Amino acid sequence: MSENNGKSDIISLSKVGKSFWRGKERLDVLKDLDLTMKEGSFEALMGPSGSGKSTLLNLIAGLDVPTSGSLKVAGSELSQMSEGDRAGFRAANIGFVFQTYNLMPVLTAIENVELPLLLTNLPAADRRKRAETALKLVGLGERMGHYPRQLSGGQEQRVTIARAIVTDPKIIVADEPTGDLDRESANDILNLLGRLNTELGKTIVMVTHDPAAAERATICHRLDKGALAL
Amino acid sequence: MTLFGIAARNIGRNKLRTTLTVAVVAISTLFFIMLRTVVWSWTSASEFAAKDRIATRHKVSFVMQLPKRYAEEIAQMPGVTAVCYANWFGGKDPKDENDFFATIATDPASLLKVYPEIKTSEAQKQAWIADRRGALIGDSLAKKKGWKVGDKITLAGSIFPGNWDFNISGIYTTTTTNVDRATVWFHWDYLNESLPERSKDKVGWIVSNISDPGASGRISKEVDAKFDERDLQTITMSEAALNQSFLGMFSAILKAIDLVSVVMIAIMGLIVGNTIAMGVRERTNEYGVLRAIGFLPKHVAQFVLGEALVIGIVGGVVGLALGYPFVNLGVGRFLEENMGQMFPQFRVQPQIAVMAFGLALGLAVVSAILPARKAASLQVVESLRRVG
Repeated sequence: MSENNGKSDIISLSKVGKSFWRGKERLDVLKDLDLTMKEGSFEALMGPSGSGKSTLLNLIAGLDVPTSGSLKVAGSELSQMSEGDRAGFRAANIGFVFQTYNLMPVLTAIENVELPLLLTNLPAADRRKRAETALKLVGLGERMGHYPRQLSGGQEQRVTIARAIVTDPKIIVADEPTGDLDRESANDILNLLGRLNTELGKTIVMVTHDPAAAERATICHRLDKGALAL
Repeated sequence: MTLFGIAARNIGRNKLRTTLTVAVVAISTLFFIMLRTVVWSWTSASEFAAKDRIATRHKVSFVMQLPKRYAEEIAQMPGVTAVCYANWFGGKDPKDENDFFATIATDPASLLKVYPEIKTSEAQKQAWIADRRGALIGDSLAKKKGWKVGDKITLAGSIFPGNWDFNISGIYTTTTTNVDRATVWFHWDYLNESLPERSKDKVGWIVSNISDPGASGRISKEVDAKFDERDLQTITMSEAALNQSFLGMFSAILKAIDLVSVVMIAIMGLIVGNTIAMGVRERTNEYGVLRAIGFLPKHVAQFVLGEALVIGIVGGVVGLALGYPFVNLGVGRFLEENMGQMFPQFRVQPQIAVMAFGLALGLAVVSAILPARKAASLQVVESLRRVG
């Protein structure tokens, strides 16, 4: 990781390209992208639909691999990694926050938060304790036994954030985290992400269409037609 | 919280669909138990046969008759302790001609000697022997028909035409299950004296008691050798072999039952597979999230197979819970009482119960393999994209 202003690069893309095939037609969604993000930064990705921001987020999160170029995240070169290794990488390094929350409806809030810990060797009591701590951190200490259907949209998103941080990942990727929320709830979620960034030092990469959300980021990258817009 | 626990909870998400699927598994299990018990009971009937009895019939077929004097000659042979003979009468109750029960003409005294498991009181036994028109009827048939000792009944003959009047002299029960309790036994003499001269003194089969059960093969050969040079040859076999030869006539039915049980299980598998596949399709985004947060394809497959396993367990348990009383207390009791010779013991056997439960589990899991593979092979990004 390269050092700059005392902070090292936690995400580094060099000449990254990503193409998809639609029948015989090749779509170059990302083109020779060079980008770095510092550890502990809060960065937003903006751009019109089809600009490649979600594809970029998926690459950073290890959900997909680039067609070309080098992609280094949290010290791991992802472009050559197998699917199995990337799953391990994600479990250890990435916390996910989705626009539509994606909680499991048959599990209570605390069980949803505990879910990623099933992949660890932690004893059940420790898993439960960690999940409680994460839920308290997002202000839902009183709602642990509630099912997703018993929570508001803002509360569901808080549970998602608790699930994202329960494994103590270095990076949190958020795909339109306020897209389904009213302004007040959106502000609460953005405040929470801000606290995770400033108080816990989490690196946050957020895709958003919302200028108000993007303002909370310390750096905002704009993409257009698969390239960074100047 | 475990992966299997989550899978089990997932099946409660669509309660109606899950209930119907469990019902399909339970009903399939129940009918599998029922059909396998039919096959088991039928094929094991020979095991319940008396070891000290041999039966002699016409060499060609059951339906061809032997001279009655053959019985008298067999009775004189070394090793034979008692002999009885019988004719299938084919009588029906004129009030209900579709109600089947066996009606057999025999010699009362020798029947009760050869079949000691047929029990009646001494007074009724003597009354039957003394009354040429007397009939001894099984207690199960008596209960069903409301017949009692002293009643006069009329049966319509299907093989020997006409209306035949009988006096009920006694009601018997049995000490073993290899003789049914729904037969009307009556005097062979009563039948014989009513027949035209050319049909007189014929018997359908002859049953002999032997002193040494281990010698049944040898004595059977000796009996057949005795009549080998006569106009009508015989075939003699143990009671067990006789039952098996009788069973041979129904081998096509047994094969059909076997086939039906397999087809039913296959249908059950398809229904469970379809239910699981629908669940996988509905939960694609959730599997995508699981994969995103680090779960591997094998974990996703375990979720799917876990759901199928729970459906199999619940359906299998319900099927067994229904199967035992349905077979042992319902159908089984009826068949044992009314068709004891074909179904001497009609009870759910532990090995059949284990097989049915194992099949419910195994097929539920096997039917979920394809949906599980599909779920495990989902691309994470594609799965998440379906969220919207």
